[in-house]
Amino acid sequence: MQKLMIRFSIISLFLLLFSSCAVKTVEGYDKKEVTSEIFKSPYFSDKNEDYVYKASISVYGNNFGGIFIVKKTNETTHRAVFTTEFGNTLFDFEISGNDFKVNHIIEELDRKILINTLKRDFMLLLKENFQVSEQFENEMFKVYKSPDNKRFNYIFVNKSDEKLSKLVHATNSKEKINIEYLSENNTLADKIIIQHHNIKLRIELNKLIN
Amino acid sequence: MKNSLLIFMMFLSFGVFSQEQKMSESEITAFKNSVNATAKNTKTLSTDFTQLKHMDFLSKDIETSGKMNFKTPNMLQWQYVKPYQYSIVFKNNKIFINDAGKKNNIDKGNSKMFDKLNKLIVGSVNGNMFDENEFTISYFKTKDFNITKLLPKDAALKKYVKQMELYFDKTGNTVSQAKMIEPSNDYTKIIFKNKIINAKIDDSIFNN
Repeated sequence: MQKLMIRFSIISLFLLLFSSCAVKTVEGYDKKEVTSEIFKSPYFSDKNEDYVYKASISVYGNNFGGIFIVKKTNETTHRAVFTTEFGNTLFDFEISGNDFKVNHIIEELDRKILINTLKRDFMLLLKENFQVSEQFENEMFKVYKSPDNKRFNYIFVNKSDEKLSKLVHATNSKEKINIEYLSENNTLADKIIIQHHNIKLRIELNKLIN
Repeated sequence: MKNSLLIFMMFLSFGVFSQEQKMSESEITAFKNSVNATAKNTKTLSTDFTQLKHMDFLSKDIETSGKMNFKTPNMLQWQYVKPYQYSIVFKNNKIFINDAGKKNNIDKGNSKMFDKLNKLIVGSVNGNMFDENEFTISYFKTKDFNITKLLPKDAALKKYVKQMELYFDKTGNTVSQAKMIEPSNDYTKIIFKNKIINAKIDDSIFNN
């Protein structure tokens, strides 16, 4: 009997640990049938558009800014460039599916850890097609869950206006990166906030109207 | 006949491009003297500016604009007003940034690069850039402008700036256009308008 009690306690402890570790992103949401296998992000998909943003970056209490520029150069490729307000190019990346190329980066920023962080952020931001594996819903949002290597992306779409409003990049147990979008017209993101959870990094992008 | 027409056409187009002529030695001396004299007599300078950032892969240049204030010996404020609020002050070897209310200071002492960029920016405003130790300089003229083209000698600066071009308007001997060309050949062009020289500028303008 005592053995059984111990076994039961161990199992419940594991269950408790397991359930408290599971990612909370869609907690309280109802699971639904997957309605479409692919979710298409609308915000950086127009080849004719120059996507130009004023960027404010806050990293471990330090703030700096610049201009963030994105251009879709062909069906599968985006250019992502960051310059100072004066126009000096700080870095210039090319992203094509899972390929990532550094065209240029100034010496002061040429650090592997920084490049890898930016690489993950921009790949998430500029990814156009998400394979949907599960679907959830509550009163306000439809949520598409999409596998991303060993991690997942949760894509939140407003039910009222069908706008992509949030993307959560998470492991099985933890949210890593949040991207929030504000969009007037559903094709262009006017404001984007990229928030990291494991490092103190926040990138705010505000669309420039020329 | 065909050939001579071609040659004529080539000359014609060459003529268009060669509106920019090299200055003679005596012209260079005269030009430098007058710019230095103007710079010496310039205690303050305030001007509007329009900045165009050109990148080959974009459909159109990125346009920003604002105001610039300069007071001797070395206080400089760049204030972007459109399409965003951003102001940067160079003062007492420090850089003060006000990014739509978010403030940040950089001690230039720590950044040789910033110091060089600062000199480049101040120099492109007051024209005090004829430093043969820092740049290889060539001189050109057109109907309206005297033009200096500066190639940095410093290896660190070369990584950021391939060439700097300053257009001095012939009437006032001050910079009316600056073009900074990057190693990739993308460039930033700044056009100065409504220049006011030696108006009273309060020091408080340089508190960012």
